Amino acid sequence: MLTKIAGGDIIDPVNGRLGKGDLWIKDDKIVPAPAGGAADRTIEASGCIVMAGAIDIHSHIGGGNVNTARLLLPEQHAAHQVRPATTPLSNAGWSTFQTGCLYAKMGFTTVVEPAMSPGAALHTHLELADIPIIDKATLAILGNDDFLLSMIRDDAPRTMIEDYVAWTVASTRALGVKVINAGAAAAFKENVRTFSLDDVVPSYGVSSRKIVKTLQAAVDSLGLPHPLHVHCNNLGSPGSADTAAATIAAADGLPLHLAHLQFYGYGTEGKRGFSSAAARLAELVNATPEVTIDIGQVMFGQTVTVSSDVMRQFSARGSAHPKKTVIHDGDGNGGGIVPYSYGKDFYGTMQWAIGLELFLLIDDPWRVFFTTDHPNGAPFTAYPALFELLMSREARTEMTAGLSRSALALSTLAAIDREYTFEEIAIMTRAAPAKLLGLTDRGHLGAGATADIAIYRRDRSIAKMLGRAAYVFKDGDLVVQDGEIVHYRWGKALRLKPPVDKAMVRRLEEYHQQRYGLSLDWFNFPDSAIAREQPFGEVPCRT
Amino acid sequence: MAVAWIGNREVLIEHAAAHAASLLSSSRCPVLSFDTDIDGTRAAIALAERAGAAYDHADGAALARETALFTDKGAMTVAPGETRRRADVVVIVGELPRIQHGLVGELAGTVPDLSTGNQRAFFVVGPDGMSVPPLNDGRKATRLSCGQASLAATLAALRAQYKGQRTSQPVSNFNDFAKALAAAHFPVFLFSGHAAEGLALEMLQGLIADLNRKSRASGLHLPANENGWGSTLASAWMTGFPLRTGFARGFPEFDPWRCDVARMIAAGEADLHLRISAATAQPQKKRARMALIVLTKTEKPVAGAAVTIAIGEAGLDHDAVVYSSRTGSLRSIDAQAASQLPSAATIIRLIATHAFAEALPC
Ligand SMILES: [Zn+2]
Repeated sequence: MLTKIAGGDIIDPVNGRLGKGDLWIKDDKIVPAPAGGAADRTIEASGCIVMAGAIDIHSHIGGGNVNTARLLLPEQHAAHQVRPATTPLSNAGWSTFQTGCLYAKMGFTTVVEPAMSPGAALHTHLELADIPIIDKATLAILGNDDFLLSMIRDDAPRTMIEDYVAWTVASTRALGVKVINAGAAAAFKENVRTFSLDDVVPSYGVSSRKIVKTLQAAVDSLGLPHPLHVHCNNLGSPGSADTAAATIAAADGLPLHLAHLQFYGYGTEGKRGFSSAAARLAELVNATPEVTIDIGQVMFGQTVTVSSDVMRQFSARGSAHPKKTVIHDGDGNGGGIVPYSYGKDFYGTMQWAIGLELFLLIDDPWRVFFTTDHPNGAPFTAYPALFELLMSREARTEMTAGLSRSALALSTLAAIDREYTFEEIAIMTRAAPAKLLGLTDRGHLGAGATADIAIYRRDRSIAKMLGRAAYVFKDGDLVVQDGEIVHYRWGKALRLKPPVDKAMVRRLEEYHQQRYGLSLDWFNFPDSAIAREQPFGEVPCRT
Repeated sequence: MAVAWIGNREVLIEHAAAHAASLLSSSRCPVLSFDTDIDGTRAAIALAERAGAAYDHADGAALARETALFTDKGAMTVAPGETRRRADVVVIVGELPRIQHGLVGELAGTVPDLSTGNQRAFFVVGPDGMSVPPLNDGRKATRLSCGQASLAATLAALRAQYKGQRTSQPVSNFNDFAKALAAAHFPVFLFSGHAAEGLALEMLQGLIADLNRKSRASGLHLPANENGWGSTLASAWMTGFPLRTGFARGFPEFDPWRCDVARMIAAGEADLHLRISAATAQPQKKRARMALIVLTKTEKPVAGAAVTIAIGEAGLDHDAVVYSSRTGSLRSIDAQAASQLPSAATIIRLIATHAFAEALPC
């Protein structure tokens, strides 16, 4: 089937295409304009902007901790509104089904769940497989697991560590590797309560820095496209900007991605000892080209924090609202669920402002990524409002009216004029994520690309425009029209398939038998366990 | 081999499914109860939505207590693998379900390799005479009880004594326990909703929270029913809610009292019961105004059922994904003796295609 998207404003920074024109789709791919070809279907896109489908690199959409959060908070997602029951599970509040639908309506076509516990890979993929329409991917968590820490302690050869990382990524069907407060979850099991970059996990004598550097090198050497994804130490603490700065410095020429930098943008100035260090961090990011970051923007209201940083979540229990939490010591990281409400008080305002400062002070849209760390800073449904704040200074000024003045006084936000352009939005939410994840088939509108396309009707309200796409195509299927789902389909989970070393498999079999009394079979699963036709799509490693 | 019946009459599966579908379509208050694998759960919940039904586990009461701990209070929990490798003190809290006894024996037969002492002490909390899973080598767990006081009361006393408060009745062997805790690096409390009432589970979490003020401790959740906990997880991701959710108004509503399927049947609210469990069906009390549809592993029709369809057992007759307490997560298992018997999910989807024009979403 040949589809013509006619007369839209095309925004495709990768291919240098900016301006009015047509876009052609044949089946599931974007194609050059056919010579004299007649379209089977024409989408009238004048008055619309046309971009590639958006890609979210960091959103907690499925897996053990997210599901535990659902169990903990049935009151948080009671059905919002009754809709005709013609679409399956369309009225479930906080479900896999809604996740896919809500993302698609905003023109997002690929979303990465960034924190998959390797032992819960099957569970995670089953959840992701129940998220309709969009493609998904996961990052496997390493860095608090006994097997890795023991190898580092024992000065295992680099290749052996790489074999373990490769096996983890391959067997869990991940698209990359994440380390979360490296070593802290292991140290917490030994009753350590705070943990910084140069602190050492007691039983192993291994520092957090050493774990990060070891994994960073392994990921790079294996040619995994996505650099090591780092959740730094000391998340949320006043003064955590020092930790983030030290971690940025530790990148040391090799690629490194720092997740939700906003949560580390905290200085210790002012009478409350809590201030914005965003300008300082932005300057460091600007000066360190091998580092990429995402923001983890805070937006006001009730949410729930879901994190595999079990030490941090344990220490945040007192701030739970409502007053209930789950803290889990897992095989590696475990995690914690702490419901939280961001108020427009001093602290909430400060966090909100710091996120925006980082967005606006980091110059290169190829290195700063659009996230709320869903649901930690805010649910992803806050994206349209956040786009508006980035693209309109006026919207920011309006918003600040109801916020804490003393917090704003400690931030540079009011002095920043920058407004993101659509081209920068297209880079930050399409082109750059595809590049960062090694997804060459998407993030742009060039011939041969997967036909993931979002079309937005221009509107004075950016939030309205980007919140309800006029049309969305996924793999060439028209899935959204006028902000509503018009076609259900199942996407894939994108994964790497690095070669697995047989000696490492034998070693792990022995380890699991000896330490857990279980064969490795207990953790492996065939693709057929997902019970979908083609649950996975393979992404090549760098060669 | 016969695999489907309408009443006592042997029929083709297609006919039985069509008849079940017509009963379902005309039902005003259908209920589903199941004891099945993840795929069976997914199919059952999708069917419940289409039919406007409430759904629950086939033996939902114990699971409901475990669920309530999470929905109402929260918890500190630990993975079974970490328990094996780290727990230097293991406390059995109340009577554990038989399916979990093997794990307790395994903990008794191993030492925690990540703990400096490399040894494990065992305690058991509960009234005198309560049954305790066997440990190996005739080892005995030290009993912590207040005579015949309830589990919740004993835990309350234990918590109070630990905090140095006076209690009306002291807990037996408390000094041994206090000494063990003082030396312990990572005590783990094994708990289940099998026999423990909700208050006991909450009280235990209070004790664990107290212990974590200065040192570490956690709880290992050993579900009363593994399929049931697997279904709870799948229900949570599909609808946002655990079991005992209903679609009477077209959208999912979680209500552990109203959607207690056993209660709905006993109260005469339900006019159709679809029961899905490969396990031998217990004889059902015949109810005049309620149609019964049974999917079970059987060679003959279930007495009192309007429709009976034979299904295979997950992991025996067909491959499956199930919850495992041994890993604390979902696990893929191969059929041990693959057979022609269809899975629960297959039959549920067949009924759905007869009852509703379009296929189920999953
Ligand atoms: Zn995150």
